Amino acid sequence: MASNIKYPDSSARYFIQGDKLALITNIDTAGGIRTVPRKNFKAISESVTDGLLIHFYGDPNKVRTINDDIDLDNSLHKAVVDFVKKCLYMDKAGRVLEPGIVQTAMQMAAMHEKNFKDSVARFGMRKRNKTGGTRAVVPVNFR
Amino acid sequence: MAVHKLNVKNILSMVRQVFPNVPESYLISLVNDALVEIGVYSTKQIQAKISTVADQMFYKIGDDAEDSSGNKLEANKIFRVDLMDSEGDYIQIPRLLDKNILLMDADSNEVAITEPDSK
Repeated sequence: MASNIKYPDSSARYFIQGDKLALITNIDTAGGIRTVPRKNFKAISESVTDGLLIHFYGDPNKVRTINDDIDLDNSLHKAVVDFVKKCLYMDKAGRVLEPGIVQTAMQMAAMHEKNFKDSVARFGMRKRNKTGGTRAVVPVNFR
Repeated sequence: MAVHKLNVKNILSMVRQVFPNVPESYLISLVNDALVEIGVYSTKQIQAKISTVADQMFYKIGDDAEDSSGNKLEANKIFRVDLMDSEGDYIQIPRLLDKNILLMDADSNEVAITEPDSK
């Protein structure tokens, strides 16, 4: 079922307010443009099944069982292992009473945390970026 | 190709080299924490369809929001919105940066505004 909006790019707008998406149009129920000087952009006047298509960055699928695959690109798999080890070393540091083991566990936790941050935040864009090729315009050699 | 799948069992075997007694349920919980943390950094692009409702201005996009098929959105950052035109094609619509529009839709249903708790 199509909508009665012929040119959504000029007749509709959206904005985000908190955890809500607002959709406004200046098209009335009959498909004409509202020409009143005030209040011409209002909520959409019709119900359209699958009328909105939103593109967003979302959370990877969570795992439920031990056989579930990690819903991430290959390049980010090691970051998950680093995060898990970081948490386990921190747990160990809080559980053990011997100062030497505590210190070692804290150092290992810090190392895995750094690896995780480097992998995801510092170099993550390189891993996620799927665009390739030359990034400079190469001038023609006239010789 | 070096592409391989990683599942929780693989992670468990890696972790048990150092922590032999770690419980599976705790590991699954930690892996899910890791996925939430990594998800903040724009790792997964998703497209979802939402049905428009007549005279409804606001649509939920929070963690409990669902698309028209009933799947949870779990959206972190929306970067593009398309609206179906009269020919059934999806056309990108512009985002309004100035949210101080004159007309506020506050009476359609509970989606529009968040009222304070009665307790």
